[in-house]
Amino acid sequence: MSNNDDLRQEALKFITRRHFFKQATYGIGQVALAALLDERLFADPAPQNPLAPKRPHFAPKAKSVIFLFMAGAPSQLDLFDYKPALVKYNGQPIPDEYVKGERFAFIKGTPKLLGTPHTFAPQGKCGQMMSNLMPHLAEVADELAVIRSMRTEQFNHAPGQIYMNTGVQLIGRPSMGSWITYGLGTENSDLPGFVVLISGDKYPDGGKSCWSSGFLPTVYQGVEFRSQGDPVLFVSNPPGMSQLDRRRSLDALRELNATHLGEVHDPEIATRIAAYELAYRMQTSVPELMDLSKETPETHALYGTQPGRVSFANNCLLARRLVERGVRFVQLYHRGWDHHGEAQYDDLLTGLPRLCRETDQAAAALIKDLKRRGLLDTTLVLWGGEFGRTPMNEGRDGSKWLGRDHHPRAFTVWMAGGGIKPGISLGRTDDLGYNVVEDPVDVHDLHATILNQLGMDHTRLTYRFQGRSFRLTDVSGNVVRKILA
Amino acid sequence: MEPIQPNLWAISLAGLALTLLPEMAPAQNRPRVDFLRDVQPIFRAHCYQCHGPSSRQGGLRLDIKKDALKGGISGPAILPGNASASLLLARVQGLNGKPRMPFGFAPLTPQQIAILRAWVDAGAPWPEGTARPHWAYVPPRRPSLPAVRHREWCRNAIDYFVLARLEREHLQPSPPAPKSILLRRVSLDLTGLPPTLDELNAFLADRSPNAYEKAVDRLLASPHFGERWARPWLDMARYADTNGYEKDARRSMWPYRDWVINAFNKDMPFNQFTIEQIAGDLLPGATQDQLIATGFHRNTMINEEGGVDREEQRWLTIVDRVATTAQVWLGTTLQCAQCHDHKYDPFTQKDYYRLFAFFDHTEEPVLDLPTPRQQAERSRLQARMAELDKLLKSPNTPKEQRDQATQMQADLSAKIAALAIPTTLIMREKQDGKPPSTYTHIKGAYLSRGELVTAGTPAALHPFPRNAPLNRLGLALWLTDPHNPLTARVTVNRLWETLFGRGIVETSEDFGTQGSPPTHPELLDWLATEFLRRRWSIKAMLRLMVTSATYRQSSQASAALLERDPYNKLLARGPRFRMEAEMIRDCALAAAGLLSLKIGGPSVFPLQPEGIWQIPYNADRWVTSEGEDRYRRSLYTFWRRTSPYPQFVTFDAPSREFCTVRRIRTTTPLQALTTLNDPAFIEAARGLASRMGAAGSVRKGIGLGFRLCTARWPTPRELAALTKLYDEELQRYRQDTKAACALIGAATPDARASEQAARTVVANVLLNMDEFLTKE
Repeated sequence: MSNNDDLRQEALKFITRRHFFKQATYGIGQVALAALLDERLFADPAPQNPLAPKRPHFAPKAKSVIFLFMAGAPSQLDLFDYKPALVKYNGQPIPDEYVKGERFAFIKGTPKLLGTPHTFAPQGKCGQMMSNLMPHLAEVADELAVIRSMRTEQFNHAPGQIYMNTGVQLIGRPSMGSWITYGLGTENSDLPGFVVLISGDKYPDGGKSCWSSGFLPTVYQGVEFRSQGDPVLFVSNPPGMSQLDRRRSLDALRELNATHLGEVHDPEIATRIAAYELAYRMQTSVPELMDLSKETPETHALYGTQPGRVSFANNCLLARRLVERGVRFVQLYHRGWDHHGEAQYDDLLTGLPRLCRETDQAAAALIKDLKRRGLLDTTLVLWGGEFGRTPMNEGRDGSKWLGRDHHPRAFTVWMAGGGIKPGISLGRTDDLGYNVVEDPVDVHDLHATILNQLGMDHTRLTYRFQGRSFRLTDVSGNVVRKILA
Repeated sequence: MEPIQPNLWAISLAGLALTLLPEMAPAQNRPRVDFLRDVQPIFRAHCYQCHGPSSRQGGLRLDIKKDALKGGISGPAILPGNASASLLLARVQGLNGKPRMPFGFAPLTPQQIAILRAWVDAGAPWPEGTARPHWAYVPPRRPSLPAVRHREWCRNAIDYFVLARLEREHLQPSPPAPKSILLRRVSLDLTGLPPTLDELNAFLADRSPNAYEKAVDRLLASPHFGERWARPWLDMARYADTNGYEKDARRSMWPYRDWVINAFNKDMPFNQFTIEQIAGDLLPGATQDQLIATGFHRNTMINEEGGVDREEQRWLTIVDRVATTAQVWLGTTLQCAQCHDHKYDPFTQKDYYRLFAFFDHTEEPVLDLPTPRQQAERSRLQARMAELDKLLKSPNTPKEQRDQATQMQADLSAKIAALAIPTTLIMREKQDGKPPSTYTHIKGAYLSRGELVTAGTPAALHPFPRNAPLNRLGLALWLTDPHNPLTARVTVNRLWETLFGRGIVETSEDFGTQGSPPTHPELLDWLATEFLRRRWSIKAMLRLMVTSATYRQSSQASAALLERDPYNKLLARGPRFRMEAEMIRDCALAAAGLLSLKIGGPSVFPLQPEGIWQIPYNADRWVTSEGEDRYRRSLYTFWRRTSPYPQFVTFDAPSREFCTVRRIRTTTPLQALTTLNDPAFIEAARGLASRMGAAGSVRKGIGLGFRLCTARWPTPRELAALTKLYDEELQRYRQDTKAACALIGAATPDARASEQAARTVVANVLLNMDEFLTKE
């Protein structure tokens, strides 16, 4: 017990002695500092930077993850899960046995089936059925593993998104990205290990809980790179203070702290000195990262980026730049897929195509770009929302616009790269697309699979809290072996 | 509790086995290996996860004697009397080409392996059943003071326990902390604020032998005491100003927060404090304050999303109430028992739902809290409304008058609303005459109801007090019953943790078998019994702790001591750790001379960057408070659960969505960026710079600033480093007055702008010194 606690405490220290020596190579007070860093001061077994790269349980396929979270829940029935029977029975009431005892967010009474108003065609050499709304993704169909048999337990946005991210619908558990950086650390010490980028018509419903570190130390929390103001909160110096002023003031600060370290010998001071140096480096590395102007016109054309404008495309390009720099987990949120058909704005004929236009090109570009840079093999890309949408038209308050209600029983996600078999699909839903009838994949299975690709056994990635060991997959989860390359 | 012995148990638990083993008593004095004391903790920490109640990898289970001796698919794991031939020993050493256990985790230490070897060689004695109940479920017995060689060091009972242990370890206590450091330490601990210069000077000038005790009493009597001690309680009470979840709308709950502050200030006995919060409404003739206190369990979140099942939401808030009650008072993690009997601690699923029943018999009203003036005004307006009602009801009222009356009523309603009478959420018992009961839920699932159970307390703990009513009041009496083995221990441990940075039981949220054992079991029990003797007085206990010689030690560690005891578990030095989020901000504002000392009232909105509040379905905006409300103490900052104040989050504050007993302390670059660049901290740096500017000279100014941040004067070397920085920055800002004005927030340059800018850079450094951020 106590040894575990010690390890936990150790993990919260930020620095190894060696790490510290490496940092302490410039500025005044260096000689004095080195003298203070007598061996005896650092008798701790091996204090670790909690974000230092850690060895996985077994040889990993992927080093990084990019999760394109399509918040609001895209309609699988209009994008990936083609159901001719739905088209055939369009407008007929759904048979009772499907909906008896079902709870919906908005549908009341017996709803009518809704066939997709969009066309589907086989794409790529693999013949993946995809709708015409995603012409760019169709070009990379041979890279995708499409899972048509996802299921979840939640049918409201906030709990659904939180469930998809943390494995529990309630707020307060660590998110996938936090678990992963806790388990593996990150490979770039000048940037956070878990970065969140947001675009779309609003903030994700689950809010910051979607990338919370829950009961894990806050150092594993997702860091939101904001598109307005400071990309990382407080990364800019105050007005009137230049980076040179900052350097001078940090030199003075370091001398004061080092002097104090020499008197009280608390290794926590060395940790703090290192944290300030890293903060200083972030002041350079973050703006450098965010600056898309050095990308070629060809790359901009590929993604459809417009520098200076908040967009999913910009965020996809940033995601590539982040994994290129060794960031472990990058999560993009694009909110707006909630196509209920309350009005033309959120219907299947206007709203859904608009969301596809906002995301299709950039998501496909990300895959192409990662591939040509040799990064796709080690980067697991995941696309999906928090649940699916009903095979029935919602018709809220007699709305004339086509739309679908929330549907947890079946939805589609796709994965690419990172040791996933390309050009395949997994799972099947029934003829109406209501329930999964083959190879169901639950959220915990998806989590187990992601961890597996990163070289981690989901049953062994644990953290003790409130008297028990917790894990991302709670007490369930099976790796979806059929999609592994 | 048995008298503590210099045994393997205590030493290995202190995490020091490695360094201490060679120095241990000679072999003949060493106690025999004891299964419960020495072996089981190793199994529990390193083996049960895969070979225990949840999982039996390889068919082996080590938590049950019979199964452990039988072994797994590879055969018997333990051959009593023959460690060398036992698979257990082979596996933990990774012999015979088999994977080393614990598989995938750090290996056992040589000392742990030695313990296992000695135990197996001694015949693997394993007492039947649960021979000794877990220590935390046995009521504390008051230990006598241990014998110590250096009695002259001891100031009170605490010191005897601490010193006895140190002497056994051949360690010496550290010398007392310098007066200035000690005053800063105790001021931060008792009021959350640094000493003012006047207080500091007075204390340094006071040569009387009880100068320190006088300062302690002054601090305990300060109205800021309650503010400081409310903070940890509000984390546990999950107090916030919004409902949580997706919509996260505002709620009015601050009267509860102020109740907590007042209760600490009045030194309300902890049993009373408990009773009023759990069951204030059930007290005979409950006062308004006692009703407000029941807000403790109304701090649960409220889900206002579309499509939610109200009854399920209500049920979920009770789940939270049970968990929180068990955490806060019993130091017990009862959540497991929602779905199944607790796997490690003696709590059944039925126990869980019986506790649940106490909370499943309540109503959740809103309490109006008018001031006498509002009350009078509202009565007047309501009386007028009633008159108009009468008029409207009468069939003889002509239409014209009727219309007029309706209009007047609308105006009156608006006037009543405009009174803005404060409200708070409270709890009230259902008045249906039935005893509280509820249904168990199979596997803890809301939709699968099990049997009906009536309210009750866990069978493994002390009995429900005789004559106590079977409702929340009875529950509160049970929680604070003198026979309760947990409440007093858990509470004094938290006080200790807040002062020393680490509890006597480190896992202050879990005193169960999976928590960490106490480093000083006798001290814990002495404090727990003392707490009852002192009639549950928090102030008395804190006074005892902060006046001990243990607390007054210097926190400087020699290299040798640091090596022996990196985490200060043995207490051979004073506490030293980074301040909590709120305290950092309060101290910065205090140093800047900006801090408002106004107590209580609705929550406020200090400076926060644009775009932090981003909540779908809620257009609520953060509007920065004007005037002194911009600089109030941090515990008054509006707490939005889905988006708490960024500086707090960065410095490890929880979201307050659920009960948090212990904040884990981290050190990160984002913290550095916050105290360096957050406009609120730049504002503080400007304020501090102005105070420094009034000191007369550059050196005096820097000295003053340093002292405001650390309570001591800088050494010549420190002064030199800061003066050099000032000179460089002055040069630079003289050449660029525009930058100077930008930094100091001045519209037009004046002659002194560059000086103020250079001072601001220096002040910014002072507010980022480790010594400023740390209580030492």
